[in-house]
Amino acid sequence: MNDKLKKVLQEVFDLKEIDIHLTKEDITKWDSLAQMDLVTSLEREFDIILEIEDIVAISSIKSICEVLKSKGIKIDN
Amino acid sequence: MIIKDSVAIVTGGGSGLGLGIASVLLEKQAKVVVLDIDKEKLAKLSEKFIKYQVDVTNYEAVQAAIDDVVSKYERIHILVNNAGAIYNEPLINVMNRENMKHSYENFKKFLDVNLNSVFIMSSIVAEKMVLKRTKGVIINISSISANGNAGLSVYAAAKAGVNALTKTWAKELGVLGIRTVAIAPGFINTESTNKALSKEVISHIKREVPLRNLGKVEDIAHSVLYAIENEYLNGAVIEVNGGLTI
Repeated sequence: MNDKLKKVLQEVFDLKEIDIHLTKEDITKWDSLAQMDLVTSLEREFDIILEIEDIVAISSIKSICEVLKSKGIKIDN
Repeated sequence: MIIKDSVAIVTGGGSGLGLGIASVLLEKQAKVVVLDIDKEKLAKLSEKFIKYQVDVTNYEAVQAAIDDVVSKYERIHILVNNAGAIYNEPLINVMNRENMKHSYENFKKFLDVNLNSVFIMSSIVAEKMVLKRTKGVIINISSISANGNAGLSVYAAAKAGVNALTKTWAKELGVLGIRTVAIAPGFINTESTNKALSKEVISHIKREVPLRNLGKVEDIAHSVLYAIENEYLNGAVIEVNGGLTI
């Protein structure tokens, strides 16, 4: 997984291990405030702007990857 | 933040402080949308303002007005929550033996005007900002009375609430690029101040203010400009009061 993405996920959600199958229901720290924190961290790290449709679509590690791919970001190292 | 060509909403912009704020924004070439409940005051304003007659305590009316603004101008960059009204009544009026207690109806009414309106405007406008990912700013006009002022129970409570909302939204919305700042004026020379306070009280206030005078509308309007333009200002309650403490 992209190192920048790993760093964002670890910082925002306090995750030690990143599992692509995790959803927001699996991650204790994933609430609406963390969602906003995630959005701004992704925007800052990858120099992108996420539209509201992207933000609403993000509900799992997999969906984060899909949104980033749609912005032209390479997910695998 | 660049004010030129931004869309700015000023509530209670038909007169007094609100008009002063709306005017300086217009001078800075913003598209200035004035919301006011008073049709006659709106009619007297320059046609350079975009005018809506709206009661900002009416949720549906505010939603309709803001939907219309966005349909015409696409985005909202600046919201100035200025609409409000001072109300003077002691909790217990020992001079009115028949009815000593502060009117509960008036307490609810002026809480609606001074606090709930800020919530209504901000929730509706902030949604528009977030939907378009607009880097916006919300300016709440608070008051020195938020610290507690004898005779002003509901006004003080409402303005203390406005300060708390400012700090809360600064934390919540800041991550999305929307800043929230409050300006807390002292006693300003406006029609509403002169109506609400007697000449004796105003005289007394002037003696208490280190600068020995009431503030001017321009003093507050320029503070609003500063809060809008300074992109690192967030969550602050900026006191503009001539050094008066209460």
